[in-house]
Amino acid sequence: MQTYDRDIIINKIVRVLNVLLKAIVIVIFIFPFYWMVVTSVKDLAEALQFPPTLIPASLHWENYTHVFEVVPITQYFRNSVIVSVTVLVLQYLIIVPAAYSLSRHKYRGKKLFFGLVLLGQMIPQQITFLPVYFMFSKVKLLNTLLPLILPFISNPFGIFMLRQYFMQIPQEVIEAAKLDDASNMKIMFRVMMPMAKPALVTIGLLSFISTWNNYFWPLIMTSSESLRTLPVGVAALKSSETLQMWNIIMAGNVVLVLPILIVYIIASKKIRNSFTYSGIK
Amino acid sequence: MKKKERSASGKRDRLLGIVTASPAAILLCIFTVYPVIYLIYRSLFSGSLISAEKEFVGIDNYREIFLDETFHKVLVNTIIYTVLFVGLTMVLAIIIAVWLNSSHQKKLNNMVEACIFTPHVISMVSVSIVFLWLMEPDTGFFNMVLTSLGLDKFAFLSSPSTAMLSLVLVMVWKSVGYYVLLVMAALQTVPASIYEAAELDNASKSRTFFKITLPMISPTILFTCVVASIASFRIFDAVNVMTQGGPVDSTNTLVYYIYAYAFRYGNPGVACAAGVVLLVLVCVMTYVQFGVSRNKVHYQ
Amino acid sequence: MGTIQLKNVKKQFDKDVVIENLNLEIADGSFTVLVGPSGCGKSTTLRMITGLDDPTEGEIYIDGQKVNDITPGKRDIAMVFQNYALYPTMTVRQNISFGLENKKIPKKERERRVKEICEIVGLTEYLDRKPAKLSGGQRQRVALARAMVKQPKVFLMDEPLSNLDAKLRAQMRVELIELHKRLGTTFVYVTHDQTEAMSMADTIVLMKDGEIVQQSSPRELYNNPNNVYAAQFIGTPQMNVLRDMLPDGKMLGFRPEKLYFHETDDPHITIKVQVATKEMLGSEIIYSLNSKYGTLMAKTDYELDTGAEASVCVPLSSVYLFDSNEKRAELDDKEVEVIKASFAE
Repeated sequence: MQTYDRDIIINKIVRVLNVLLKAIVIVIFIFPFYWMVVTSVKDLAEALQFPPTLIPASLHWENYTHVFEVVPITQYFRNSVIVSVTVLVLQYLIIVPAAYSLSRHKYRGKKLFFGLVLLGQMIPQQITFLPVYFMFSKVKLLNTLLPLILPFISNPFGIFMLRQYFMQIPQEVIEAAKLDDASNMKIMFRVMMPMAKPALVTIGLLSFISTWNNYFWPLIMTSSESLRTLPVGVAALKSSETLQMWNIIMAGNVVLVLPILIVYIIASKKIRNSFTYSGIK
Repeated sequence: MKKKERSASGKRDRLLGIVTASPAAILLCIFTVYPVIYLIYRSLFSGSLISAEKEFVGIDNYREIFLDETFHKVLVNTIIYTVLFVGLTMVLAIIIAVWLNSSHQKKLNNMVEACIFTPHVISMVSVSIVFLWLMEPDTGFFNMVLTSLGLDKFAFLSSPSTAMLSLVLVMVWKSVGYYVLLVMAALQTVPASIYEAAELDNASKSRTFFKITLPMISPTILFTCVVASIASFRIFDAVNVMTQGGPVDSTNTLVYYIYAYAFRYGNPGVACAAGVVLLVLVCVMTYVQFGVSRNKVHYQ
Repeated sequence: MGTIQLKNVKKQFDKDVVIENLNLEIADGSFTVLVGPSGCGKSTTLRMITGLDDPTEGEIYIDGQKVNDITPGKRDIAMVFQNYALYPTMTVRQNISFGLENKKIPKKERERRVKEICEIVGLTEYLDRKPAKLSGGQRQRVALARAMVKQPKVFLMDEPLSNLDAKLRAQMRVELIELHKRLGTTFVYVTHDQTEAMSMADTIVLMKDGEIVQQSSPRELYNNPNNVYAAQFIGTPQMNVLRDMLPDGKMLGFRPEKLYFHETDDPHITIKVQVATKEMLGSEIIYSLNSKYGTLMAKTDYELDTGAEASVCVPLSSVYLFDSNEKRAELDDKEVEVIKASFAE
């Protein structure tokens, strides 16, 4: 009887400890974002004050107008949207036919093509950037957004994943559609793509997130201010005249974080599953 | 005769296969195959970033980097970073994943997972800037907390002895959620009946973990470690935003070195030679990855 | 009209010759069942009729027209697949009308036909469901409806009942027979199940190793098999064939149900047997009998205990003679005498 009572008490303690620990973990991972937002609405004096205030004394939204004044952040934002959306849309035109080819056709050179796709997944941007830079410099396209778009629309991971999905479609379903006198186009749009919808959504989410967040590539491929994307522009904030004005820098940072954060809050589970899938493929 | 046997529809089918493959194939050739070949080719030349003029110098560029003490430091830094990052991340990820997996507070667990994973979808630039601010030596939140607790200030990114560790901590914070998800996915593949059998055999929790759970998920863990290592070789964003390789090259890593040689010192030949070193590293690790992933299949 | 002809058809996958030289005619309005063990080429034959596989050599005609170069969708045929092959992302309605859409049939007409077919097969209340929300039997009906709505010249079915449980399978068998009667269209049906073939077909095409062994009505196949293979394929337990007792390597066959435990006045042979095992089926009993010619199977309502000894009669009118190549041979008076002599000792 006594041991029974003791067990209940131990169980309760364990549960309370569990909840407490989980709360701490949540704080560890959320606090930096909270601190970013809070700093962005403080005035500079309060931002640097000791001891720091967890809740701002007054809200200074003018930090946001200020950051729009020091740097052309609207322009950065527009470039980011153009690049991310164009890559997102154009890649489907490339990867859907490619995955279709790999999963449903036999021809000489198919193995070679598949090898290319695997190679594309293996070689990172950090290896190809210099030659690609020379290439775009040679054809005088460095002062356009094309270098930020073209290299990413043949998304080899997307081809690979979509191929796996297409291969899981039973041959008979395609044959039934052929007997129903559907054209190849119609089979693609009405039968195969609807069946691969989860893969198409996953590829889109991952591609959008990675293009939006990409810093390395646009840093190298853009030299003029008017072509910069948000990550490059916001990173430059801290070294420009806003040096040490952390409230202004954080305001710019919020602009960079917010779109992705909204997407993540809406589709958190879906995005986590997408990343998990890409990690264990 | 043989050709005649092939039917018209078969020919159309093959043609369609080639036509649909070609846009992707061409793009992959332009943006993957050609750059790799050109990287190797260009590493044998001197010249500048701006002018097209270049001169064949053989392996001079390689000689230069291998004699360069900074490059030695960069290689060591990259390896230290990789070992620290992968080790810390995986240990933390396994602990957190097993912990979440063993407690049955579904809603709370989902929230913890969602929060831990948030930094992974956020731009590395944002994370770097926020931590730069938090780790600010004088006015940063971390040091203010330390001061108010009556402790000494910590140098974080501003001292050569602590910069690398600080960098690793930021990267672990950003990435650990992703690896928690991967480990949890691996844990889900362990059949519940094995745990039930262990419980009937009166195995203690720690014994169950070390004798059953860990061996069952270790192929996946190993595979994940290799993939994480390949990703670590490429670290750049955080270095460029937070430290620019400093102080005194203490956080200078391979990709930053390549970038600096090309765009700061305007010597693309040397940059390409260093790029080839990265290429070799990636190839070796990918080879290991294929070996490991063959093992992974065998376990399932 | 739904006649089908295959002339000198050869099919080869890479180096593998599946069908060497096949000639087959299927009559308009018939219910033809292609039957045989797996790998005999029956499915390949069906797929060449659909156009999903092309013959390596030879010609295929549907309704007198050569179809070798016509795509599957334009051959005016419909097929029901073994796993139904429904479009999982479409509703029942969309599944059925997809083929009509591709044929550019006006929307009103499409709707009318879908409605009509669904009333026939009893799917009306499920029209807006996806296949995943249907039972196996309902999916089967959708597959049928999808084929029927196109009003094809020929219905092709590839083991359409093998995914159903026994009870539903028997019910669908009856429904298919009725459907064939009502439509009067040619049905070509592939199965490996002899019971299915016997109960549904008006013509059976028995195949083995890419060749046609026999093409005839079920009754004819049962009463008049061409060779040992055909004789043993139909009927359970299979026909008893005694191999080593007639001169010139000839063989003697008789069905288990033609083996009597009582004397008959007709000319017959007598064999001494001992009951080895006994299997009660209800109305009938299947015996396995030891004799000096080997094990014999018998199907009868006569009751005996295991171990009992008896004499069994086989009327000569029920005996089949095969030559040393296992081909059916004529049973003339001379042969009858030889058989009688062989069993006299």
